[in-house]
Amino acid sequence: MTGAEVPPGKYGTWWFLSSEIPVFGGLIISYIVFRLGGTSWHEASSHLNFNIALINTFLLLTSSMTIVMAHGATEEKDFRKVGSFLGATIILGLGFLAMKAVEYTIEFKAGFLPSSGIFWSFYYGMTGLHALHVLAGIIVNTVLWIQARTGTLRHHSHRVELAGLYWHLVDIIWIFLFPLLYLA
Amino acid sequence: MINPHTRHYLAIWYWLMGLVILSVLASFILPKTQALILIFAAAVVKALLVARNYMHLKNEKPIIYAMALVPLALILIFLFALFPDFVYHSTRP
Repeated sequence: MTGAEVPPGKYGTWWFLSSEIPVFGGLIISYIVFRLGGTSWHEASSHLNFNIALINTFLLLTSSMTIVMAHGATEEKDFRKVGSFLGATIILGLGFLAMKAVEYTIEFKAGFLPSSGIFWSFYYGMTGLHALHVLAGIIVNTVLWIQARTGTLRHHSHRVELAGLYWHLVDIIWIFLFPLLYLA
Repeated sequence: MINPHTRHYLAIWYWLMGLVILSVLASFILPKTQALILIFAAAVVKALLVARNYMHLKNEKPIIYAMALVPLALILIFLFALFPDFVYHSTRP
């Protein structure tokens, strides 16, 4: 899609995405400020499950590729392929949420709750809000996948691009959450 | 037969995976300060790769760039406005 051809809803989607940046950006900046000033945060973050987070990074980065391939397939008018790539994106997103649920369960069982300290409040707040965004993206992608399967998507195929923009933003947020929480 | 778009998206994915591996290795091998610089530089590069190639920002109009960059600039102003707080009051639990 070139800059000259703007599909319906694209400016609105970007406006929505730009409103998401201060939401997560504010949380991330607050986290950085508190962490730089704190003394016991490194010890708290060492209890996080690095392996699960690494798998989730792989799942989310791969899902970004599959949804952009779905967008590419709409330009080729190959809606069977669009459905396949959207299906793969949904499965990868569900995999992310499943792994996140496993991680939360392990942490809860170890006694690390949102009330266990300010690090854990940030951790559950940021990753929980991000997981809700992943869930919202999965719902949107599922609607599009059904439309691709039933053939109705060909009348408004630009929606795949808009859903993709949202999904990529969710991916970019994780790109920063992963090193902040698990590597730093 | 892989079309050029698919090949490009795959190439970006390989770069993203490579940068993830680089970040993880840095966190294990390098001294902390150097590791943090490399890890967050890699995160910025990954975000730019996704935004420019998967979100197609490199082909977009200036108005869309503005919608993406203005809130980012505000966030950075927010960060630098708070710098004195953690520089001069650096003992929190």
